[in-house]
Amino acid sequence: MTENLRPEEAAQALAEIQQRQQQVIRLVTVPAWFFWAIAGLNVELSAAIESRRPLLLGIGIAVFVIGLLATIFRVVYGSVRHAQPRNDLMPPAGVFAILGFVAIVLAVTLPAAFALQASGARYPATLGSLIGGALIVLGGPLLIRYLHRVMRANASGDSR
Amino acid sequence: MIKPKFDELIHAPTRLSIVSLLAATEWAEFGFIRDSIGLSDSALSKQLTTLDEAGYVEIRKGFVGRRSRTAARLNSVGRAAFEQHVRALQEIVARAGASVLPE
Repeated sequence: MTENLRPEEAAQALAEIQQRQQQVIRLVTVPAWFFWAIAGLNVELSAAIESRRPLLLGIGIAVFVIGLLATIFRVVYGSVRHAQPRNDLMPPAGVFAILGFVAIVLAVTLPAAFALQASGARYPATLGSLIGGALIVLGGPLLIRYLHRVMRANASGDSR
Repeated sequence: MIKPKFDELIHAPTRLSIVSLLAATEWAEFGFIRDSIGLSDSALSKQLTTLDEAGYVEIRKGFVGRRSRTAARLNSVGRAAFEQHVRALQEIVARAGASVLPE
């Protein structure tokens, strides 16, 4: 049979394989609202801590924990409800990109908060979280786009 | 090193689509495969039975609440056969050169 298969047909079969892999990669998606939710929860927690009122702090922590768990559950459950993409679709470059993104957010947020504190700002952690939140909202979708790209490249390497 | 081996069972167009989809997943629900590929329930069921009988897939049936859920996964035999098939296709294309690659 191999001898009878024309190269064009083999190429079409490889293209079909690649298309199906991309369908699965599209399952690994994080909606934009997720980044808004994470940013909002961070700001909310910082504000609760800086309020220095035990009641607000308690409510703030509860909202943060419940909100974070609900948000993550919603996104993860939404992604893997109908099919679970293989873990090795994500190459090491993707994992490093995620870690790098977290490191950049922290590297900007923490020094900003300390600088605001040093300059006598009233709510330095909350303001710092706002800056971090803006980075998360702006950078999150870019990160997801990059992850899809490296996953597609990784899958193509497997099938071509 | 994966040895190229053309697999006629996998190469049939509908089954190639199903196996390609399953190869990128740990498991996939019946409905997801059906909708992704655009098959009827009976057509997908028939193809999955063929793959099951060949020892390439495992079919899991269960219930979520009152609704039955069927999921399929490519087992190690099926995954190895798929990888060998892909390698065989790659060799055919490589022999012909890049001119045959679709845009």
